[in-house]
Amino acid sequence: MNFPEELRYSKSHEWVKNENDEVVIGISDFAQSELGDVVFINLPQEGDSVTVGEAFGDVESVKAVSDLICPVSGVVSAINEELLDAPEKLNRAPYGAWIIRVAEVSETEELLGSADYEAFCAAEG
Amino acid sequence: MSDLKRTQLYTVHTSAGASMVDFGGWEMPVQYPDGIVAEHLYTRHACSLFDVSHMGRLLIEGPDRVAFLQHVLTSNVLALDVNKAQYCILPDKNGSAVDDAYLYRFEENRFLLVVNAANTEKDLSHLQSVLPAYDCTITDITDQWAAIAVQGPKSKEILSVLSGGQMLTEPMKNALNTLQMEGRTVLIAKTGYTGEPLGYEVYIRSADAVWLWNRLIELGAKPAGLGARDTLRTEAGMPLYGHEMGLDPDGKPMPIFAVPLAKFAVSFSQQKGDYIGKSALERQSAAFKRIMNRDFSDMADLPRRIMPITLLERGVMRGGMPVYRGGTQVGYVTSGTMVPYYRAEGEGLQTVITGETAKRAIGLCYVDSDLLENDIVEVDVRGKRLKAVIPACHMRSDAPPFARPILYRPEEEETAADGGGRFEKAVELLKRAEENHLWRQKQCINLIPSENTPSHAVQLLCASDPACRYAEHKKIKSFYDKDIFYYQGTKFIDRAEQLLTEEMRAYLGCSEVETRVISGQMSNMAVFSALMDWKNRLDRKHTPQRLGYVLNNHIIKGGHLSAQPMGALHDYIAVDPVTERSAVVNFPVCRDNIYKIDVEETKKLLDQYRPELIIFGKSMVLHKEPVAAIRQFVDQEHIPTTIMYDMAHVLGLVGNHFQQPFAEGAEIVTGSTHKTFFGPQRGIVGVNYRKEELKYGLWETIESRTFPGRVSHHHLGTQLGLLMAAYEMNTFKDAYQAAIIENAKYFARCLKSQGLNVAGDPAIGYTETHQVIVSVGYGIGAEIAERLEENNIIVNYQATPDEEGFTASGALRMGVSEMTRFGFGKEQFKELASLMADCILRNKDVSGDVEKLRGQFTEMRYCFNGSEFDDALEQLARRIGF
Repeated sequence: MNFPEELRYSKSHEWVKNENDEVVIGISDFAQSELGDVVFINLPQEGDSVTVGEAFGDVESVKAVSDLICPVSGVVSAINEELLDAPEKLNRAPYGAWIIRVAEVSETEELLGSADYEAFCAAEG
Repeated sequence: MSDLKRTQLYTVHTSAGASMVDFGGWEMPVQYPDGIVAEHLYTRHACSLFDVSHMGRLLIEGPDRVAFLQHVLTSNVLALDVNKAQYCILPDKNGSAVDDAYLYRFEENRFLLVVNAANTEKDLSHLQSVLPAYDCTITDITDQWAAIAVQGPKSKEILSVLSGGQMLTEPMKNALNTLQMEGRTVLIAKTGYTGEPLGYEVYIRSADAVWLWNRLIELGAKPAGLGARDTLRTEAGMPLYGHEMGLDPDGKPMPIFAVPLAKFAVSFSQQKGDYIGKSALERQSAAFKRIMNRDFSDMADLPRRIMPITLLERGVMRGGMPVYRGGTQVGYVTSGTMVPYYRAEGEGLQTVITGETAKRAIGLCYVDSDLLENDIVEVDVRGKRLKAVIPACHMRSDAPPFARPILYRPEEEETAADGGGRFEKAVELLKRAEENHLWRQKQCINLIPSENTPSHAVQLLCASDPACRYAEHKKIKSFYDKDIFYYQGTKFIDRAEQLLTEEMRAYLGCSEVETRVISGQMSNMAVFSALMDWKNRLDRKHTPQRLGYVLNNHIIKGGHLSAQPMGALHDYIAVDPVTERSAVVNFPVCRDNIYKIDVEETKKLLDQYRPELIIFGKSMVLHKEPVAAIRQFVDQEHIPTTIMYDMAHVLGLVGNHFQQPFAEGAEIVTGSTHKTFFGPQRGIVGVNYRKEELKYGLWETIESRTFPGRVSHHHLGTQLGLLMAAYEMNTFKDAYQAAIIENAKYFARCLKSQGLNVAGDPAIGYTETHQVIVSVGYGIGAEIAERLEENNIIVNYQATPDEEGFTASGALRMGVSEMTRFGFGKEQFKELASLMADCILRNKDVSGDVEKLRGQFTEMRYCFNGSEFDDALEQLARRIGF
């Protein structure tokens, strides 16, 4: 299991990276492994507002569906359209396959650093 | 998960890195590190292993075992032969399912009932509550025997390594066998829960389970978990208890007839008698029939049914999601998922499964019974209404070795044929016909054993005037059975038919011949129809009884289509009320030679079934049929029967070099006149009844079932041609038949020495007929046949007796008759064998060499020549304008 140090993590297993004025969001290695084969993803549209602690989309694995919970509030500035056709990228490279970029960030939940998140996952798993 | 039960294979799963879950009280692998998608795909293109040892295995023994099972299951247990399995449902008294199950009969006196793991305890207590009334026992052997499902196109090949090449089971679905695999006893069933046309479930003693699992992995199988098992069964449209059976999402019991499989799993046979839930099931069945006839006026007993559903928009359906039609809810999704599949390219038999994969969102739903195939509905996918359709199915399993995904495609409107340019098309047609004729007649080596080219004289007569005439005629008792014709201008053809009848009587060695049937299939239908009529002749006040039992060669064992219930027997064969299947029993074949009838085993069946009709004859035929031995036995045992020999393929071989059917004891011979015989495409019926015999009446019925029963005009042109062919055959048969047999044996030997895998017994030179069968590899018969055609060699691809059907064909069926007639002898067949080996084994282009070889032999043999004959023939051609 991989927990890159340069990222921060939510307790609902999203990773967050600040890039310029925006926030990039994806799902962690632990999340993809728990989900199993991801076969489908529902994404918001550019310009949609997102709210801390609320779903901004969902991922379906063969087994089940899981909401994607937004760790920040703001406006969606980009979505990773590649994932619509190839959601399995979330399994293959969870930290390469970003899901959305959020601009005009107004609020951010409390995020965990890599070591704390790893410990959190160990307790959950 | 400490209080969960574990199967014999638990440590194998954990050490392979499987994710384990609680499933029905068992700690089971849901997936392995490759993941569900990869496991699903590997099953579809190779072979997966599933640990199904958690399923309940109950042994039912004792004198009342059949009566007990008839009472607690929906199926007809009496219809279950030894070494067969059947799908069944445990009904409750209201016609809902307690569980669904598979019933296996590996032994005469015991049944094995396999039930769902989560239901085992419930089932056991349900069964125990009924048991005291019956003298039989239920033993739970779940712990003593492990069960491994081996599923996918490579399963047969992999398991055959362990069986040392011994046939696993008969190729039919639900066949069973008990085998040794590297010294261990296994019970093997051709069953499964993946929809794979090739799939087995193997039962093995617990101590040997790990050994078997590991051996299968070594041989190329991969493990798959419950996740893939669920996506595979959903794609195959198979029900899962708790989803498609039991209680619906509203908590109401679902009727058994809601599941499409109920049609097969529920029996109302008289022999079965009353059983749990029968009256409720009868009401459901009545509702089902109304609904199938699109009468939706009374659906109370079957308000909803399980149907496949495909999402037409992006998303994934899950069990429990509501389904709407218009604004109204019509049911629920019961199982939903996203399944992967391999994309296919090309059409028909040339379809190629590519390595490229895609996914589709499919499921099963429980919806109002008035929904029809192709209806558009909506599914509430977490608040969003997504468009979906009720397709016919998600997948088909009838083209082995692969399960084929069926993608929903809306019907496209056909473009109407272009009305113009018919003159140009007519000219084009002539050119194409010329091209085809010259290719097939001068450039191709034709090895189709059902074909022959008639001589010029025969072809010319076929096209001469009678070709456009009528000559209906019938024997009339008032005129002492003189044939009366209904049309004028028929004296010539009347005489020709009489001469043809005489020639064919002499050829076949029998008393009567009917020549008006225009195909082999029609010959058989005329005979079957006559036999049925004859059977009912003393009672015309009831609906006539059909024929049964009939003993024939199974189509998979080389039997003629024209002797099968799906072929010419279809409208004449009874249904056995006990088995609820066609009253047909098949000739057993020898263990060491699947092409040969096992006479001793046949005798046992004759005693058991006392068939009223015995049909010899095959379309994949290497051996003589044991007519004399069977005749002797039925006479000795006083079995009242009719022995018929469908000689379609071997009609031209009647005589000293092959068989004399009537001398050996056949009463009726049918055949087609264009395979080994020299004629145009027609049929023939010969019988050997004398006027004073009772069964002469059967002959007269055959005549009347031919005309007016089968034909009005009986294709007089080819009937005339057949007369010339009969003259040829009666003149040249000794030399021709000797050459056929010699060439076939020699050709087989040459193919063998070229390294090809020739079927049959080397001790007799592989064949006693015109046919030679070569195995080229499981499932690639069609591909090799296509390659040979590109090289100007025309053969049949053919499934051998241990293969599942034509798409799984691994053999080529060839006949030497046409090329023998064109003058091929040993030297040419030797060269041909070498060219074929180059083409088949080395993929060499031999088209030029084949054309050259063929080009040297365009002159027909075994037919009349000499200046007098040639002059007359030429004059006929000239004067009638050909």
